[in-house]
Amino acid sequence: MKKQAVGQSMDRVDGRLKVTGGARYFADHQPEGMLYAALVCSPISSGRITAIDATRALRAPGVADVVSHLNVPPIPGYKVENPNPKQGLKIFYDDRIYSNGQPVAIVVANTLERAVYAATLVKVTYAQEVHQTDMAGSIDKAFQNKNMKDYQRGEADAWKKAPVSLEAEYNIPIEVHNPMELAGIIAHWETPDKLTLYAKTQGVKSVQQSLKTLFQLPESQITVHSQFVGGAFGMALRIWPMEVATIIAARKIRKPIKLVLTRKDMFTLVGYRPAAKQRIGIGATADGKLTGITHEAIANTSPYEDFTEAIVNMSRMMYACPNVNTHYQLVSLNLSTPVWMRGPGEATGAFALESAIDELAHQLHMDPLQLRLINHADTDPEKNLPYSSKYLKEAYEMGAAKIGWQQRSQTPGKLEENGWLVGYGMSSGVFGAGRGRATASATLKADGSLVIRSAAADIGPGTATAMVQIAADATGIDVKKIKFLLGESEYPEAPRQGGSSTVSTVGSAVNDVCRNLQQKLGELATANIPAFKDLKVENIQHEDGQLVAGNTRLDYAAVLQQQQLPELMVTTTSQAGDERKQYAMYSFSVHFTKVHVHPATGVVRIKHIVSVADSGTVVNTKTARSQMIGGVVGGIGMALTEEALIDHRFGRYVNNNYADYHVPVNADTPPTDVLFINKKDPVINPMGAKGMGEIALIGFAAAVSNAVFNATGKRVRDLPITPDKLI
Amino acid sequence: MNQFSYVRPASQQAAIDAITRDSSARFIAGGTNLLDLMKNGVLAPEKLVDINRLPLRNITLNNNILHIGALTLNSEVAAHPLIKTHHPLLSQALLAGASQQLRNMATTGGNMMQRTRCSYFYDTTMPCNKRTPGSGCGAIGGVNRMHAIFGASDQCIAVHPSDMCIALVALDATVLVAGPKGNRRIPFGEFHRLPGNTPDQDNNLGKGELITGIEIPHSPFTNHVYYLKVRDRASYAFALVSVAAALDISNNTIRDARLAMGGVAHKPWRLHEAEKTLIGKTPTVENFRIAATVATQSARTYQHNAFKVPMAQNSIVTALQKAAAV
Amino acid sequence: MSQAPNENPSCPGKKDKHEARRDFLKQSSALMALAFTPPLVVKAGEHDEAIAGLFEKMPVSLEINGKAYQLSVEPRVTLLDLLREQLNLTGTKKGCDHGQCGACTVHVNGQRINACLTLAVMQEGKKITTIEGLAQGDTLHPVQEAFIKHDGFQCGYCTPGQIMSAVACIREGHAGSPEEIREFMSGNICRCGAYDNIVAAITEVKQGGHTV
Repeated sequence: MKKQAVGQSMDRVDGRLKVTGGARYFADHQPEGMLYAALVCSPISSGRITAIDATRALRAPGVADVVSHLNVPPIPGYKVENPNPKQGLKIFYDDRIYSNGQPVAIVVANTLERAVYAATLVKVTYAQEVHQTDMAGSIDKAFQNKNMKDYQRGEADAWKKAPVSLEAEYNIPIEVHNPMELAGIIAHWETPDKLTLYAKTQGVKSVQQSLKTLFQLPESQITVHSQFVGGAFGMALRIWPMEVATIIAARKIRKPIKLVLTRKDMFTLVGYRPAAKQRIGIGATADGKLTGITHEAIANTSPYEDFTEAIVNMSRMMYACPNVNTHYQLVSLNLSTPVWMRGPGEATGAFALESAIDELAHQLHMDPLQLRLINHADTDPEKNLPYSSKYLKEAYEMGAAKIGWQQRSQTPGKLEENGWLVGYGMSSGVFGAGRGRATASATLKADGSLVIRSAAADIGPGTATAMVQIAADATGIDVKKIKFLLGESEYPEAPRQGGSSTVSTVGSAVNDVCRNLQQKLGELATANIPAFKDLKVENIQHEDGQLVAGNTRLDYAAVLQQQQLPELMVTTTSQAGDERKQYAMYSFSVHFTKVHVHPATGVVRIKHIVSVADSGTVVNTKTARSQMIGGVVGGIGMALTEEALIDHRFGRYVNNNYADYHVPVNADTPPTDVLFINKKDPVINPMGAKGMGEIALIGFAAAVSNAVFNATGKRVRDLPITPDKLI
Repeated sequence: MNQFSYVRPASQQAAIDAITRDSSARFIAGGTNLLDLMKNGVLAPEKLVDINRLPLRNITLNNNILHIGALTLNSEVAAHPLIKTHHPLLSQALLAGASQQLRNMATTGGNMMQRTRCSYFYDTTMPCNKRTPGSGCGAIGGVNRMHAIFGASDQCIAVHPSDMCIALVALDATVLVAGPKGNRRIPFGEFHRLPGNTPDQDNNLGKGELITGIEIPHSPFTNHVYYLKVRDRASYAFALVSVAAALDISNNTIRDARLAMGGVAHKPWRLHEAEKTLIGKTPTVENFRIAATVATQSARTYQHNAFKVPMAQNSIVTALQKAAAV
Repeated sequence: MSQAPNENPSCPGKKDKHEARRDFLKQSSALMALAFTPPLVVKAGEHDEAIAGLFEKMPVSLEINGKAYQLSVEPRVTLLDLLREQLNLTGTKKGCDHGQCGACTVHVNGQRINACLTLAVMQEGKKITTIEGLAQGDTLHPVQEAFIKHDGFQCGYCTPGQIMSAVACIREGHAGSPEEIREFMSGNICRCGAYDNIVAAITEVKQGGHTV
C-alpha cells in the first residue's frame, strides 16, 4: 500500500505557479480590446446628487463613456420591486448617497492612466444631508430585526448575584480585510446575452446567482473565472456594487472592461469587520464555578442592509454555566455594509468573553487556565448534544507546556527581561465545524491520470492541494497524477469558500466521487473484463489505483484501455446527513502568547506564540500550519495595530491606506509554534476533518491583551493596544 | 495623474533653468513622495525635471567634513562605512525609516523635501491650509493622534515625517543649495519651517533652488548615540515620536549632548534647552529626566495626541539611556 | 484617486485637459516637437487621437529580464503599469500603488525597488528583473524553491514581491539572523501572514550558501 497522502506535509500543487509569477489573478487577464474603468466616488456621506457634469471627462483623450444613474441603460433586475427597503445598494439606481466613497459614476477609457485621470474631471455636485458615522452618537437608535433573537438559559443576569463577579465593556473598532490583491473585476459581454467575468470571489457560483436575477440571464449565459484569488478573508463572499457598475458599463459600451480598486476604495466598497461595543457580566463562586454570563453587543451596519453575525454566540456554549443570556443589536451608520471578516463575529465576541474570563480569574486569584478547566463544557450546553469530538483539555495542556506557562506570574508586573516587562496570556477559540453540499466530477483518463473538478474557490489555504491528497487516498492514485481544478463556474456546484468548511464540504464530495468512480470501474470490469467477469462489484478490492480480486490486479487505466474508452467521468453530490442533528460539531483552538511591554514607551512586542488547533484530521500539515500562522498574524493586527479611523465630521476614513492602517509586517511577528491535536472526528465527514481557518484567529486578541495585563497590570478593553494606551 | 512633460537635463544649470522657466515644473529624484502626491491629486505639475542623472551621488570626507551628494540614496548613506564610522546616528535614523525598497529609491535631498503625511493634506476633499491655503485645518478638531505638540499654529498642526532629518538637525548639518542666483548654505535647523501663517511652505528653499548636498561637521558623537523610534508597528510606519540622542561622555561626564525629536513638530525638532541641562552632568537617569522635562515644557496638545507628552519624555530618557549605555 | 473632488484645490484655475494638451504641445521639448509638422500639431489639438497619443508619449529603452525593449510611453506611466498593462508581465503585482506594501518589488540594476513609485521613463537604459526573469529556464531560483518548500505564501499575491525582495535581502547581506530578515523584509506585507515561513525560506537559502 502507498503511504497515506492525507496527513502529509505536501508542497502546494500550485506552488510553482505562485513563485514564478505564473498564477493569474483576475486583473492579470487582458481580453482583446479591453478598456479600463475608474470610479468617481462621493465625498459626502449622506444626501443627493444634484448634477453630474462629465463634459470635460468625455472630451479627454481615449474616454469611451461616463456612466452614472443619469444615463444608465435599464437594468432588468432593478425593475423587480422588493417590498424590503433594506435590499442593498443598487448602484446607479437613483441620486441618493448613503455613505462616503459610494460610487456615483464610472469612467471608461482605453488606457488605465486616461481612465484614472478622466475620473478626476467629472464634476459632481451634491445636496448634503446630515450623516452619522459614529456609533456612540447613535446608540439610542440601536435595533433588532426579526432574525435577531435574544438567548436565555436559566436566569437572566444571574452573574449579579454571584459571590465574585465583574462587568466590563469591550470595544473593537472597524477593521478592514485589506487582502493584498485589490478588488475589482473584468466584465465582458461577448454577446448581448452572454456575460464573461474574471472575478475576485470566494464563490464563482454565488456570483452567477447574484447576477442572473439582476440581468435576467440564465446561469449558463454567465461564465465566471476565478482560479487565483489574492486573499479575501471574507470580503469576496458577495458581489459588490462596483462590480455591478463595471458589468453595467461593459454592457453599455459593449467592450470588455477592467476595474481595479484603489487601496483607498478597499475601505469603503468591499466590506469590513463592523465596530462593536460589548458588555459582559460574569460571575462565579469563590472556587471558580461560573454561575452566570450576560453578553450584550451592539455593532454597526449600513443604512441599506442589516449585517448580522455571531458576536455573542460563543458565550452561550463555551463554558458549562447554568445561567446565560445574550442580547445583540445593530446601529445603522452612513457607512457601506460590513461583511464577515476572518473569524467573523466569533472573533469579536471571543475578545470580550476571553478577556472577561481572564479578569475573573484575576479576581479569583486563580490561574486562568485552571478557571477554564473548571468550567470546561463536556457536552454542548446550548444544544444539549454530545460533541462529535472535542480535545480542548488536551489542547490547553499541550499549549501550556510549549509556551512555558509555569513561568507565568499570577501577580501582574512581576517579570522582566532586558528592561521589558514580561507577560503570559492565553485564550480559547471555537467555531462551528460545518459541512455543506457540494458536487464534484472525477474524470479518469486512459493514461491513468485523474482530474477532479468542482466550482470551489481558493483564497489561499491550499484547497487544490488538500483535495488532491483526499483523492489520492480515496483512489490509491499517486498525487502526482491527480489534478484538482476549481474557480470556474462551469464546474459542478460548490459553495463559497467561507466559514472554515471547504475541506469538509468539497473534500467530502471529492471523496465520494472517487468512491463512485471506483464503483463504476468495478461495474465496467465485471461487465467486460474476463478476469473480473464472475465477480460481484462489491467483492472487488481497490488498492494503489488498481482493481484487485485475489491475485488478479488491473490498473484503472487498463480498464479504460481495454474498453477503448478515452476517459471515464463520474459526478457526485455529497452532503451531511442526520448526524448533524445528533452531535454538536465544533473546532477549538487555544492561543498562548508571551509578550514584552516596554514600560517607558508602551510598545508591545509579542515574543512567542503557541497556537493549538483541535480541528480533527489535518489533511496537510504544511498548509494547515500556514493557515494557523496566518490567522495568528491577523490576530496580531486585531490585537495591536488595526483600526480604521473615521473623521465623523465628514464621515470619511482618514487612514485608508497601507501606510496608516497598520497591517502587521514581518517584524511584528515572532516565531510561532503551531500544534495540532490531529485526531479524526468520527462523525463529521469521511476525512474526519473539522475547519481551521477561523479558529486560527478567534480568541487570539484576548491572548495578547491578557498577556499585556499580566505584564503590566493594565487592562486594555479597547482594541487595538497601541503604545499610547500603555503609558 | 494628469499628463505632464518630462525632461532629463544633462547639467545642474540646465535643471535649474528648466524649473525657473516654468512655474508648474518640479524636480523629480526618487519620486517616492512626489508620485504618491500626484496619484492622490495633491500635486499636478505640468513638467517633471528628472535630476537623477546629475553627478550628485557621492559621499566624501575632506578635512573632517563629511559631504553627502543630494542624490545619494538613503540606503547608500545608511550603509556607507564613512557614515557608520563617523555618524552612526544618521545611519540608525535612516534605517528606522521606510523600507529597504524605498530607501533604494529615496535620495538625501528628496528625503528633506518630503511633505507631511497628514491625512488631511493627502485627501483633496478635506480642508487643509498646507495644500489649499485658506481652506482650514482638518486636523484641528479632527483625527489628530499623529499630530504636532511643538511649534504648531492655528493654521496647521502637521508633522514633518523624516527620520533622516532628525539625525541631521542633531548633527548640525548644513544644506548646500544651488539656484538661479548662485549657491548658498543653509544651516539644517533653518531649512525647514514652522507652519505659522504659511503652512504651505515646508522649507526655505527659493524658486528654482536645488539641494546639491549636505555637509556634516566633525562630531564627537561616534559611540554614545541612539535613534529611538516609537511607532504603531515594529517597522515600516511613521513615528509617534522619535528621538535622536547623541552624547559625548568622558570620565563619566557629559561633555556635549545633542537631542532632537521627530513626529512632534512641523520641522525636525531640536531640543537645545534640554541639551544644555545635560552638559557637565553625569549620565544618570535622574539627569535624563530633567532634560526630558525641560524638553517638553512648550508642548501643546490636541484632542487625540496628549499621550505624546509623556511618550516624548519617556522616549528621551530611554534614548539617552541607550546612548549612554546606562 | 477615485475620489473626484469638485475642483482640484491644489491647482485653482487649472486649464482643462484639452487646452492643457495644446499648451503642452506648443512648449513640448524640442526632442519630440521636431518630429512633427505644424499642421499635425493643430490636428492633434483637435482630437486626433492617434497623433495626440504620439505627442504625449516618449521613447524609452529598457532591458527587462534580459530582453531589450524600445518603447514609447506616456511620461505618467509607472514602471509597474508598464510591466503589467503594456508588456503583459503580470507577475509583478499592484497591492497599494503607493509604495506601502512591496507587492510590486522588482530589481533595477540589481537593487530592489517599488515599481509603483517610479516612472517608466525614469528607468531609461536600466536593467530590470521581474519575477518572470528570476528562474533559469525550468530551473527555479533557490529562493523560489525555498518558498515552495517552506510554504512561504498562501494566496500567492504578495509572493513575487516577497521573492524579489528576499533575493535582494540576501545579496545585500541583510539575512544574517531571523531578526535582521524580519526587519529587512518588513517592506513586503503578506496579509495571509506567511512571515514565519518566509523567514525560514530565506534563512535556508542564506545558510545553504547558494549563489543568489
